[in-house]
Amino acid sequence: MVGLQVAIVVAFFAYWEIGTRTGYISKFLFASPSSILEVLVRRFESGQLFNDVYTTVKETTIGFIVGAIGGSILGLALWYSRFVFHLAAPFITAIGSIPVLAIAPITIIWFGTEVLSKIVIVAFSCVVVSLTTSYRGAQRTDPDLINLMRSFNATRTQIFFKLVIPASMPWVFSGLKLNVGFALIGAIVAEYISSDAGVGNMILLGSSNFGMNIVLAGVVLVMLIMLTLTFIVSLIERAVLSWEKE
Amino acid sequence: MDYALKATGISKSYGAPDSRVEVLRNLNFHAASNEIVSFVGPSGCGKSTLFNIITGLLQPDSGQILVGDEETTGTTSEKIGYVLQKDLLFPWRTVIENVILGLELRGVNRREAREKAHDLLVRYRMQGYENVLPSQLSGGMRQRVALMRTMITDPEIILMDESYKALDYPLKIALEGELLETIKREKKTAIFITHDIEEAVTLSDRVYVMKARPGEIVDEIRIDLETDSPLIPERRISPQYNKYYELIWRKIGLPSVSV
Repeated sequence: MVGLQVAIVVAFFAYWEIGTRTGYISKFLFASPSSILEVLVRRFESGQLFNDVYTTVKETTIGFIVGAIGGSILGLALWYSRFVFHLAAPFITAIGSIPVLAIAPITIIWFGTEVLSKIVIVAFSCVVVSLTTSYRGAQRTDPDLINLMRSFNATRTQIFFKLVIPASMPWVFSGLKLNVGFALIGAIVAEYISSDAGVGNMILLGSSNFGMNIVLAGVVLVMLIMLTLTFIVSLIERAVLSWEKE
Repeated sequence: MDYALKATGISKSYGAPDSRVEVLRNLNFHAASNEIVSFVGPSGCGKSTLFNIITGLLQPDSGQILVGDEETTGTTSEKIGYVLQKDLLFPWRTVIENVILGLELRGVNRREAREKAHDLLVRYRMQGYENVLPSQLSGGMRQRVALMRTMITDPEIILMDESYKALDYPLKIALEGELLETIKREKKTAIFITHDIEEAVTLSDRVYVMKARPGEIVDEIRIDLETDSPLIPERRISPQYNKYYELIWRKIGLPSVSV
């Protein structure tokens, strides 16, 4: 299976490379694997690559912590009051239905062109998903376990911290994993709108100069960032949810 | 008489005023100290409602529950511990952390709680399993951990709901024997709520027979198997056993099944 998958990848890049060298595939439109690699190596040597990746990862991570983790905490806290949840539900849905692209330009006006506005956009991209998944997780706490806690005269706060939070962790993490992608999209979109560094900035500048190898090198970097961040979240998940049966 | 628990006039209905379903009608019952009492009845006799009313998780429409001299209607009492059909262990807590849950919630010092739990683990032959997660235990061991979690808070009354229904027969017999021994040794009062006549006859000193829709007590039968053995098979083969079994069976009033 893996052998076949590797073969497909190799065949794809070989076809692409040979196609562009023989002129069968347009180098102008599609660049070539070797020219993409060349961009990556050149930028790595100049330190520009590190600078762009660092900027994007920083925006994504801080925005993710504020939006996804903050959203999870809020969602869990809503377990305390069904009334507050039902009151807030239509507003949450309304906010959740705003595409991040639609508000990004205003965010720049409100929060400036520096890193803060990017963090706001990233946080906005993740907050609703985390909030709703973790709230749903909290709501699904086994009522028999809640009764058990009540039979021990547990207070609502004890039930929340000792039962609801740990029981909701699988849901919290499924929200967090979804949000790695949304956070990264948010960061790239924010950089498209205004930036002087970052992988989104690199892609934007590349495409405005028809530098397809630069654009595609940026895409490769985005993929690598995505895989790395997802991997880190999975590691944390595995540590926190070590009790969960495979 | 020294009552551990006494209930008078317990009634409960569910639903909107125009479509009320009467679940329990005027139940009067008690459990004397160190007595084992069972409620046995067909499905629909309101067993889980009765259970929740005794634990105080549910407020009856009328009636009163006294635990000792204290009225506990609608409130959970520290004197009542319960064991359910599901073991309800927290999967993220190790065995010892599950056992100490009740003490932890009462703010008992952690070290003291763990020491007490350790003694229990030894007594229930589960030493060495302190730091094991519930998912790594067998069904019988999980039930034992659930029982320890109840026993550690030292309740005067143990309330059990269809406790070992989900387990296979030999294991059920073994755990019931263990339970009976514990209750007798620690001088607890126990209330079983079950549909299993066999369980009721082998374990109880006295049985309340219920009928369904609405749940009502139709009779009260004192059981004397003429043996002191806590071993379930021993009790099961007592010459008296079949007499009680048949008596309860008739009282429940199940329609005769033709094969």
